[in-house]
Amino acid sequence: MASGFRLTFPSEQTTPVKEQGNNSPTKRTTRTRNKPKKYDDFLELTPSKQRVQRKNESDESDDAEMDEASPQKPTALFDSNDVEGQDIFKFKSRHTRQDLHNKVQDAISNSPKIMDSPLRTPKKTPSRAFKSHLSKTCEVTPRHVKEVIKKRIIQEVESDSEESDFSGTSSDFVPDESDNETEAESSSEDEIEQQKPSAKLNITRNVGNKMKAKDSDYFVTPDNYFMMNSSKKITTSDHTLSRLKNLNIEENEAQEHELSDEHKLKIGELNQTYQHIFNRWLYALSENFNIILYGIGSKRSILQQFQAQKLKKFPCIVVNGFFPSLTIKNILETIIIDLLENTHVPSNVGDIVNLIDAQLTENGVNLFLIIHNIDGTMLRSTKTQATLASISQIKNVHTIATIDHINAPLLWDHSKLSKFNFTWWDVTTFLPYSEETSYENSIMTHRSGALQLSSLRSVYQSLTANAKGIFNIIIQYQLENVKQAHYQGLPFKDLYSKCREQFLVSSDLALRAQLTEFLDHKLVKMKRTYDGSENLIVPIENVLLQQFLEQQNG
Amino acid sequence: MESTVSVSKGVFLFPNGFKKVKSSKKKPESVFFEKLFEEESWYVVYKRNWDLIENVLQDLHHRTYSVLLNDIVNYIKEFSGRNEFSLDGIIPSATLLTGVNQPDHASQFTALLNIIREEITPHVAIINAQDAPSVKHLVENAVRQLICEQSQIDSSDCDDFNVKSKTKLKRGQYTMRALKNWYCSKYVNVSPKKNKHRVPPNTLVIVMPDFESFNCNVLQDFIMIVSSYTSCLPIVIVFGVATSVSALHKSFPYHISSKLLIKVFHSHSSPVYMNQVLDEIFLTHTSPFHLSGKAFELLTDVFLFYDFSVTGLIQSIKYCMMDHYYGDNMKSLCCQPDMLEETILNLSKEDLESIRQLMSFRPFLEQQDCRAKISLFEDDNYFRDVLYKQMNRLYDYLYSFYLCVRLLHAFVQDIPKNLLGKTVREIYTKCAVQDIVETTAFKECMQLLNFQSQMKLVETIKNGLKVVNTSLQNVSPVKPLQVTPKKNNMEDVIVNNHLGEGFVKNVRVHLLMFLRQIEKANTEATIITNSMETDDDVENVPGNRYKLKEKLLKATRVDRVQSEFEMVRLRFVSYLEEVFAKGLQPPHTQTFYEILFFNDVSNVKKQIVGSPRGALHTALSNPAHYLQCTCCQLASSESVVGSLPDLCLAYKLHRECGKHINLYDWLQAFAAVLRPDDDEDRHQHPVVQSRFTRAVAELQFLGFIKSSKRKTDHVMRLTW
Repeated sequence: MASGFRLTFPSEQTTPVKEQGNNSPTKRTTRTRNKPKKYDDFLELTPSKQRVQRKNESDESDDAEMDEASPQKPTALFDSNDVEGQDIFKFKSRHTRQDLHNKVQDAISNSPKIMDSPLRTPKKTPSRAFKSHLSKTCEVTPRHVKEVIKKRIIQEVESDSEESDFSGTSSDFVPDESDNETEAESSSEDEIEQQKPSAKLNITRNVGNKMKAKDSDYFVTPDNYFMMNSSKKITTSDHTLSRLKNLNIEENEAQEHELSDEHKLKIGELNQTYQHIFNRWLYALSENFNIILYGIGSKRSILQQFQAQKLKKFPCIVVNGFFPSLTIKNILETIIIDLLENTHVPSNVGDIVNLIDAQLTENGVNLFLIIHNIDGTMLRSTKTQATLASISQIKNVHTIATIDHINAPLLWDHSKLSKFNFTWWDVTTFLPYSEETSYENSIMTHRSGALQLSSLRSVYQSLTANAKGIFNIIIQYQLENVKQAHYQGLPFKDLYSKCREQFLVSSDLALRAQLTEFLDHKLVKMKRTYDGSENLIVPIENVLLQQFLEQQNG
Repeated sequence: MESTVSVSKGVFLFPNGFKKVKSSKKKPESVFFEKLFEEESWYVVYKRNWDLIENVLQDLHHRTYSVLLNDIVNYIKEFSGRNEFSLDGIIPSATLLTGVNQPDHASQFTALLNIIREEITPHVAIINAQDAPSVKHLVENAVRQLICEQSQIDSSDCDDFNVKSKTKLKRGQYTMRALKNWYCSKYVNVSPKKNKHRVPPNTLVIVMPDFESFNCNVLQDFIMIVSSYTSCLPIVIVFGVATSVSALHKSFPYHISSKLLIKVFHSHSSPVYMNQVLDEIFLTHTSPFHLSGKAFELLTDVFLFYDFSVTGLIQSIKYCMMDHYYGDNMKSLCCQPDMLEETILNLSKEDLESIRQLMSFRPFLEQQDCRAKISLFEDDNYFRDVLYKQMNRLYDYLYSFYLCVRLLHAFVQDIPKNLLGKTVREIYTKCAVQDIVETTAFKECMQLLNFQSQMKLVETIKNGLKVVNTSLQNVSPVKPLQVTPKKNNMEDVIVNNHLGEGFVKNVRVHLLMFLRQIEKANTEATIITNSMETDDDVENVPGNRYKLKEKLLKATRVDRVQSEFEMVRLRFVSYLEEVFAKGLQPPHTQTFYEILFFNDVSNVKKQIVGSPRGALHTALSNPAHYLQCTCCQLASSESVVGSLPDLCLAYKLHRECGKHINLYDWLQAFAAVLRPDDDEDRHQHPVVQSRFTRAVAELQFLGFIKSSKRKTDHVMRLTW
């Protein structure tokens, strides 16, 4: 904590001896405790607030001077209505498992609680915090905490002048009594890991001391990022989804329960309001601006309404940017071949643009390009975006695009942006992204494997009896042997002999013919080992395989 | 409407009756948009005004580029005159340093192309990096443009000897050899009978506007190829470089760069250009549309801190203008003053009513007596009359306002510390936002003016006079009369009560008068001090330190006698203050200023700047902001309630986790918030699970998380 202060107020000098003390390994554990807190202090002193503070301080004259001399600041770009950058981008303090737990508990206990968010925690005076820390920890003190305290006390005695290094941080580290074993485990894990980053932080701190106070928070903040990311180990619990009984839920099962009536109503109203700006969009489009829509919720329906209401008489091209096998070539072909009835698409972008431009002007027609998710996976490459930008620049082409990904604006550099000439519209709809996510391999469904299992089943059912037998052999072998340290898969030779034993195949060649079918459907993967033998693996998780076997047998 | 969902394709065409017509009957272009708005008078006025501005912009464009472009053209001309083409395979090349604001460059290069075509040679090729992925494409493109350009012009000249055959070349046949053959047949081996027609050999110019985007190797090869042809083809290359000359040297090793004769040209930096655009087009009383201080600040900030692109700035201004006029007929008053009368007559009753609603009308109303008030509301014709008068007053005000801004600029631009800023636009923003005369910065400036020397002051006044004269000339050509002020008595300096031209003329008269007085006062002041000094010198001869000290002390005590110059200066400064207090009242104090000034910054800002991340965050952490529902009122942005939309709930819970999130734990937390009173099995409920699944899928789609292989059933957070 003290060092945190030191950074922001350089006038508070520390002796080199103390610095060494900070670096000494004995102290590391204590430091790590404080880190989140310390970091919160930095957060609290956002540049703007800091400036105010400084003005109050009489002895910071040279800082004030620096402020004056500092380069021009934007005046109108940012106002109070903007979302605080810190809310979105702040580095959070180290997360522990309790965070989630606490949050839930807070939510459940219906008290309109104010989560004691790190940003708002009032600073306690060092001594009091220290006491409270002691008293609190005494109740439950695990051994390592005791040791830590001991070391702290020793240090306190050694350097009484220093504001204690561990003020007021106890709260987020005292283990809750209700917590079960795993939690205690994970917290001690935390502890071990945190040693490493602490050393790092100390180094930078020394650097920071030499810097002007003005810059200090600038230097420290990225450090916290590295501190957060330096630990290689994942400190979450070891629960897996296999604990769930019903893995294979149908996704659409419960859609109608999802929204409360009020929300349904309000979402409907919200979406109604967007219809009023359709004319403005047309107006902007007519002046050769293009339109981009952002905000939470699927914007497909809004655009469909727009198209239905306003663009009935004009050629439109609707592009689903979220479509997984979309290419820029598809779009160009639709414009050039399907719409403009040419025979082929020119190879380079300049020619394409000239062609489209010439033919549209010649026909005196305005083409509307509606791109759902211009930030879709398949449209993300620079080249694609450059092409889209060049096309959108054409006077007779009007682009209406949507973005959803948080990093979507990174797609465009300034030359692309100026070609696109976007006007930005906040169209938050809160509608579910049902189409957009339907192609995606969702994490949950992927894990629960409903899709895989059903596709496995359907392929399996189309197999001949012999082929089924072969597949069963591979699966069973895999389930039996997968516990081995280096499971390589079922060797082809073994498979062949097993199959012969069961009279499934008569020759090597016949077996291979069967296997190609598996390989084609990606039911089986073939791996060649160093000694040249071929090994067969089923690239599906064993839990699923087990389930599959049970289903087949049952 | 057909569905646009398919598992087999992602692009859908709705021709909506569009059929490609083989064009003999040309349809009028883009009828549809005009039709949409054309009956609205605001749209008509907007269109007219924007076209006006665009024309002026074009003019300005040409003027700013002309100097630089002429330099380049002259440079190229040097080489076109020569008969022997080359010096050992060296290609003459011009490097144009354009600056990083690439969007602006397109127009610059088109201008360059046009001027080269007019003055030097018809053979010009312009090649963008995107069209030249390989040497083959590059050569093909360049050669085709060089030859075709010529053929177009030739055919119009009816001088088409074997042009026909040349233009029939196939794609693959555009090579350097073809170019050489073509060139030889055209200029070198012309048959004698055509000799009288013979054109002097023309240079071939190749322009590459975006040097940095080219593939280095392609360019290197191209240069080597061209250099081997320099003996027979007079080729000049123009590079547009956005960064610095070193980019050129970095991408060309010695053996390449030795083939190039490089001359560097610098173009204007974009802030200079921006200031010029603003000063000459938008910050004048003739501009049909004015930006309020805040809007103006926003736009210049976007320019200075985001893109540096003048094109972008102009587009933003255009957007503001569109927004200003949109759907509001009273904005049709925002037009050229000479059309004002007609427009006012055309206003409907409703339009007049909405004008009466304007905020700035109220103070005006309060000044009127009772009867006038009634007739203002009841009698539309009377109101029209008043409106006309007030609008004219407003125009007068604008005229003197902009003049004063410029005048102030002339006076304070050299003052140390730049309290009010260096450029007209900075001063304008300050003046437009508040009453500048009240600010400390202004007062300090006036104080500093009070310390200026005679020489300096004379100079500044002359500058100020220049400003006044030009602005008067814009209105009506002023006869350069040598005005003798009627009253020499300084106490009678009164600023006239009305603004406009009379005010400006008055200012001019006074400035002239002060100028003369200050010039005259100059000598007298120095004489006085000289005489005193001679006195001192006599005593000073015996150099005693104490005596000197005493004398200095005494000198400080003696009241300083104001010289005549100082007195005049004092009066002058106080006169200036008076003028500015009169002329620089901020726009929002004027009646009906809303009609001419665009004020709605916050609205436009969203459209111009856009904040997708902010919107996402707001919607997710505080959905009530958008939904206006009663169930999701949150105590703080961090708190969690069960009634939140699923996506928001999952988002909030995920923010509590570290870099990795355990899906199972997450699901449990999610279930616990959703169904706090259920038993242990709540997370097993299929509804909860499917809701959670959807929320997770959507978060993944939004880019907040991605799946992780590090640990089973974990996802990674992509934000922090």
